[in-house]
Amino acid sequence: MNWLLNVVVFLPLAGALAATLLPKESPGAAKWLAAVVTGADLVFAAVLVARFDVAKGYQFATNVPWVPQANIHYHIAVDGISITMLALSALLSFIAVLASWRVENKPATYFAMLMLLEVGMNGVFVALDFVLFYVFWELVLVPMYFLISMWGGPRREYASLKFFLYTLFGSVFMLVGIVALFLYTGTFDLVRLASAGSALPAHVQWWLFLAFFLGFAVKVPVWPLHTWLPDAHVEAPTAGSVLLAGVLLKMGTYGFIRVGLPVLPVALTKGANGLPPWQPILVVLAAISIVYGAAVAFAQTDLKKLVAYSSVSHMGFVMLGIASLTVAGIDGAVAVMFSHGLVTGLLFLMVGMVYERGHTRKIEDLSGLMPQVPRIGAAFALASFASLGLPGMSGFVGEFLSLVGGWQAATAKGAIFSPAWVVVSAVGVLLAAAYTLWMVQRVVLGNPSRTVGTMSDMTGRELATVVPLVTLTLVVGIYWSSLLRFVDPAVRALLAGLGGA
Amino acid sequence: MMLAAIPLLPAAAFAVLAPMSRALRNSAKTVSLVAMTGSLVLALVAFAEVWSARGGEGTHAVFHAFLPIAPGHAFGFGLLLDPVSAVMLLVVTIVGLCVQVYSLGYMHTDERVGWYYAVLSLFSAAMLAVVLADNFLELYMAWEIMGLCSYLLIGFWHTEEGPRKASIKAFLTTRVGDVGFGLALAAMFALTGSFAFDVVLPASAGWAPGAATLVALLLLFAAMGKSAQFPLHVWLPDAMAGPTPASALIHAATMVAAGVYLVARALPVFVASGVALTVTLAIGIVTALLGGTLALVQHDIKKVLAYSTISQLGYMFVALGTASEVAALYHLVTHAFFKSLLFLGAGVIIHATHTQDMREMGGLRRKMPVTTAVFTVGALALAGVFPLSGFFSKDEILASLLRGGHYWFFAGALLAALLTAFYVTRLWVRVFWGTGSDHAHEGHRVMLAPMAVLAAITAVIGFASVAFAGFLGHEGEWPEVGLAAASTLTALGGIGAAWWVYSLGGVDTEALKARLKVPYDVLVQKYYMDALYEAAFVKPYEAAARALAAFDLGVIDGAVNGVATLWVRATQVSRNFDVNVIDGAVNGAADAVVEAGGKLRRLQTGRVQSYQRLIVGGLVLLLAWVMVLWPLLKAALKGA
Repeated sequence: MNWLLNVVVFLPLAGALAATLLPKESPGAAKWLAAVVTGADLVFAAVLVARFDVAKGYQFATNVPWVPQANIHYHIAVDGISITMLALSALLSFIAVLASWRVENKPATYFAMLMLLEVGMNGVFVALDFVLFYVFWELVLVPMYFLISMWGGPRREYASLKFFLYTLFGSVFMLVGIVALFLYTGTFDLVRLASAGSALPAHVQWWLFLAFFLGFAVKVPVWPLHTWLPDAHVEAPTAGSVLLAGVLLKMGTYGFIRVGLPVLPVALTKGANGLPPWQPILVVLAAISIVYGAAVAFAQTDLKKLVAYSSVSHMGFVMLGIASLTVAGIDGAVAVMFSHGLVTGLLFLMVGMVYERGHTRKIEDLSGLMPQVPRIGAAFALASFASLGLPGMSGFVGEFLSLVGGWQAATAKGAIFSPAWVVVSAVGVLLAAAYTLWMVQRVVLGNPSRTVGTMSDMTGRELATVVPLVTLTLVVGIYWSSLLRFVDPAVRALLAGLGGA
Repeated sequence: MMLAAIPLLPAAAFAVLAPMSRALRNSAKTVSLVAMTGSLVLALVAFAEVWSARGGEGTHAVFHAFLPIAPGHAFGFGLLLDPVSAVMLLVVTIVGLCVQVYSLGYMHTDERVGWYYAVLSLFSAAMLAVVLADNFLELYMAWEIMGLCSYLLIGFWHTEEGPRKASIKAFLTTRVGDVGFGLALAAMFALTGSFAFDVVLPASAGWAPGAATLVALLLLFAAMGKSAQFPLHVWLPDAMAGPTPASALIHAATMVAAGVYLVARALPVFVASGVALTVTLAIGIVTALLGGTLALVQHDIKKVLAYSTISQLGYMFVALGTASEVAALYHLVTHAFFKSLLFLGAGVIIHATHTQDMREMGGLRRKMPVTTAVFTVGALALAGVFPLSGFFSKDEILASLLRGGHYWFFAGALLAALLTAFYVTRLWVRVFWGTGSDHAHEGHRVMLAPMAVLAAITAVIGFASVAFAGFLGHEGEWPEVGLAAASTLTALGGIGAAWWVYSLGGVDTEALKARLKVPYDVLVQKYYMDALYEAAFVKPYEAAARALAAFDLGVIDGAVNGVATLWVRATQVSRNFDVNVIDGAVNGAADAVVEAGGKLRRLQTGRVQSYQRLIVGGLVLLLAWVMVLWPLLKAALKGA
């Protein structure tokens, strides 16, 4: 089945190329093409998930020399963590296409960009050569830039440019790190780097970690590197927001898991001469992101900005789980990554539906979705409760495990950060309920406002975008193993590799 | 597996009802009743099973099963059937079914009655899962689902402002406590690697006192939120904005008692701590007195009952503070029946009089004889009058205080009992005595029948006190004469005083209010706690959130834009004195950045060409970096 993984990554590229060749006189063809391509890609990804053996490590590998002179390989494979993210990427890409059915401005280019974006996202999660990883990583930037700048809102130019330059700024440091790591170890292979990197002297690891931190943290985004996110979200079209929050942010945390932890463990736990270890730094930044994001979300008047800042808060839980370096914590981090993709994707879909009908995202103009459009209202409310971490839905699983892992790490022997930061993070759960319920109270409940009064309920196509997300949210929330049986063995293998670090 | 069906039946009813259209759901509400009846039957079977296996080892589990939901066997759903859960199953299913039958009458004109039944079903499933859980994680998950249902039912009439606000307040206040629950779970997992009762509880004896105290207090904090204990009690009176039968089930009989159940289950941790027991005792007595005093000045019949619930829950915490789980659970059981009876009675009264204000009521005993009779049973039980159930359960709590030598707390508890008898008599006189509501009519049979059932249980269950203790594996005792006399005198004193004041007009209450203006205002203002929370937490948080949002936009994002602008200036300078070696690439990059900075400053939409130049510029910048790095790369390759 190894060939199939290549197909999953590159099928959308073929789709994107085909979309540019479509005849101009049939503008409706592009969306059907995109739906078929991303749909097929989702099916193939599902086949991989079904064939995946949770007891084994990396699977479906392809490893051939790419630039032999520089020891660069085309090496792709998936473990339990990456196949989870790959499935999320494939699912949300398909849903993003369905959610874009009404795009009429240059549809061929638009859907080509969506498919190109999927290539980059899928690629990041399967690449095991650092240069290949970097290529996919940067590939993601370009279509997302165009999606925002050409199909975005009134401030799209500013937002897209900010998104592009800010993340480029981060990834430039990552590139420096990649090259430097190669200079020290002679390899770009992420599997081999795990042992080669961790043997490096402490101060080298520390500076390398700084470089990767800047690359990944901008993407997550970790406070205070987050201000590109609200602008990008507000201006992006619905599909762009869904993929931005649902998948792109996870590339950052995935980078920490795949690179930061196994390659540079000493930098995390021990630091270097005069340089503090990174673990407490990450924990503190995570706690700040959680509380700060929640508080700022509470003050927003624009629905999309509210959801965008809530992402800063939720991604803080991912960072907390990763920084805990415990099985529970990293299981939780990946669970939040997956769940946040589903739930925030769903929330952006709902905001998009409301915007498409009411042409506003201002919270004060919206109220009473539930009586007027019960399906939209119900899905909105359900997504909100999933987002605030209600047990029985996916959001709870990861946030709970991240807190458990954080507490374990903070109270273990030789812990290097205080449990107070875990308490601060736990308060974030309360603050999440505050901004979420406040939003529900004003937007979903009450009597329909004038804007809402003219709305019609979800169409069948829209329902089709919502149902899979809702279903998965409930399945994962009730039976955690449906997700964690993939993630947990990979996390254990990862931490075992860390050894005594 | 029959046991699993007890919570799963109502859960299935919810799953069936929830996705339906409103009209279909309204006509299918019977699904909910059928499921609840099924749960009741199965609960009776389960109880019989535990009953026949009683004796011997005391509280041992009759049935235990575990379904892991995550790798590692610490996370999962387990079912634990022991005497405690068997009793709780009966309470929840009996009150649950009574409320559902009653609601057929009470809610029959509501256009969203189907949704109401769906949420009641989900609630019942969650509450049944709470009492069957064999581990703290499962209990916590079900506990939060209950919180959701409570939120949905308080805000059931969400097009009105009041219920909307009350529902948020309830959810957030209880979630304050739940933060403690979450941390308690994290702490017990860090200590034992498990959440299971049969792992954590025995292990707690060996913990350092600090660890036990931490876990116990965190759990207590969670219980205080759910069970509306001081200082987290503020949400419960507001929660009366929901439909009255829902108040009876959730905010009187079951969910609010879940905190008591939690502490009772976790009692070994509290005992290991010691300090935590004292804290529990203190919280309990403060709450009992606080609720009792506040009930004195309410005019809304449901609010009187709500403060009464707070006070009675405080009584249960007092019992827990003496480490007497039997007394606490027994009072939980009797209270569940008589308080839900009182709430259902209040519902009938509200239907009949179209008001909740007791000042607009009076003389209902003539128009509503059945309601008067069953309500009186409930009121006397609440007041603690022999031979009704409240007398016995209150007596056990008082006895446990004496046994522990907590004489001051004993005096406080007696005072709370006096207040209880007083306010419930005040309520009774205002509603049933005198004259007033002449157009009232007796409630429908479908509402009266469940009340009669609850009244019958309240009348007889007191005599089960010794059997109850024995069933839970403790030595039960009948009330001691001296103590029984003291508590009876207290109850009669309270009743007599209230009768004298409100029926015989022994005191001019208006004049009294004027003379005691300050304390009276303090009570009317609920000890200023809502105002305090508003001023100390809600407003400052709102202000802080706005300030942080401004900070985010002004300072953090301002810095980002500032850096961009600076960079633009710098590259302009460097272009003017252009001595660059890699001139082409860097110039391209600089151009891009100049453009970028301009855009960042002007924040306006622009021309398509400039986009393209920008993106090209960005890519050139990237290329420039690679070119800078390339010599390094080549050197490395040579070295390799």
